[in-house]
Amino acid sequence: MSDFILDVDNLNIYYGNFQAVKNVSFHVKPGEIFGLLGPNGAGKTSTLSAVEGLLKPQSGNIVVAGYNIKDKPLYAKATMGVQLQSTNFQPELTVTEIIQLFAGIYGVELTREKLETILRDNNLQESRDKKFGQLSGGQQQRVSLSLCVIHNPKLLLLDEPTTGLDPQSRRQLWERMEAMREKGHGILLTTHSMEEAEAVCDRIAIIDHGKIIAINEPQVLIDSHRNDPEVIAASRKGKITLEDVFIGLTGRAVRV
Amino acid sequence: METNIPKTSAVLSTLLRADLKTQWRNRRSVVLTLLIPVIILLSWKGIIEQVGGAFALASCITIGLTAIGLMGYSNSVARDRDKGIFQRLRVAPLPAWCIIMSRLLVQLLMILLVTTAVFFAGYYFDKITIPGQGYALAFLAAIAGGAVYLGIGQMIVGLIKNPETVNSTTRLVYFAFIMVGMLGQFGILGDEVKKMVIWSPYGTVQSILSASMEPAKWTATTTEALLVTISYAIIFSMIGIRKFQWSNK
Repeated sequence: MSDFILDVDNLNIYYGNFQAVKNVSFHVKPGEIFGLLGPNGAGKTSTLSAVEGLLKPQSGNIVVAGYNIKDKPLYAKATMGVQLQSTNFQPELTVTEIIQLFAGIYGVELTREKLETILRDNNLQESRDKKFGQLSGGQQQRVSLSLCVIHNPKLLLLDEPTTGLDPQSRRQLWERMEAMREKGHGILLTTHSMEEAEAVCDRIAIIDHGKIIAINEPQVLIDSHRNDPEVIAASRKGKITLEDVFIGLTGRAVRV
Repeated sequence: METNIPKTSAVLSTLLRADLKTQWRNRRSVVLTLLIPVIILLSWKGIIEQVGGAFALASCITIGLTAIGLMGYSNSVARDRDKGIFQRLRVAPLPAWCIIMSRLLVQLLMILLVTTAVFFAGYYFDKITIPGQGYALAFLAAIAGGAVYLGIGQMIVGLIKNPETVNSTTRLVYFAFIMVGMLGQFGILGDEVKKMVIWSPYGTVQSILSASMEPAKWTATTTEALLVTISYAIIFSMIGIRKFQWSNK
């Protein structure tokens, strides 16, 4: 069995004739926060969707905690906690009912104490009886995040998890991710926030046009590209940041 | 650490509980689905002796089944797909068929409720009585008929992704079925339309429902109508399943 909590090997994804992901390979170790960065349409969500089992790649292998997503999809899914980019739940259900639903789906025994802990940890005590449709964007995001970890997954997949969160909630989420890392969970996250990637990720892969163009620790990436002319040109304040490296590597053109 | 996969039956019952709660919270639309066939039945009070009690009950149940399949099921599936609710469930360790099965079980309950409501209204307000066996067979016929309209609803959400377009299409198809079906069956739209309606999803479902309430009047033509009904259900469902996509993207 591999030492990695997630092992993606030679992944290729096509939409018709268009190849969205080209020979992508990376791994996430236990106790590691791994960031997948890229401009819009670079292939991040396609890669993540394949890991989540939402789309079937044309070729390549994905192994989650020892389970191949092709051969043992339910076991692989049971070991992951997923927060999708635009997750939603039935607007008619209350926060408590949604937590009960997902506890049942993941086979988690939801005692009163456990429910209270989930609500408290996510600042949702006051909203427990509110319907999902009545919650603010930040509260909805917190419900979604609370469900990701309800079954104590070995791997966490977070697709732009801090979108819509206020600075306090964002900081709290970073602390929770770091706490999970300490406990040995692996985390794969995508984000457009370079500040977030630099602050929490142990390693980063930059993906563009479906290919991984750089992969390393944030500081190593900055150091190894600080003298690239494109990176220097992208620098705004003299000091080279991860964002400068990102723009230097992927270009200044706005993607749609 | 061992990976825990819950039993499919436990997952299905959890999903069903949530879907029933969702349906209950939308009870205004549930009440409307129940009321429309009952109101039509009450409005026919004066012509029940001419058309026959079984015919009136069968027509009203057919109208209720049409509303369940076209307005209820397809719109809820289109909305939940658009909101990403299905995708969130699909990343969890449960077989995808459980998600739809739970939705269909809720609709099955609605079919039984509509049928019961029409029988109750028929008995209470119009004094329509049918043999005990007729009630039992009519419930089975209602499930078969309901499958046709759920199949049509599935086909619509399979072919159309946008929830607003699904909504307007189902309203249009519903209206067409009811108007052409009812008026056509009474011969108001001419003999050609009347013949077409008899073998349409509206006509065959109405025919098997009507005959099931009076088993003595079941003929070879009714058996053909039953076979056509089953074929409709299979064909529409197959198209709907093949074309269905879990995501709008």
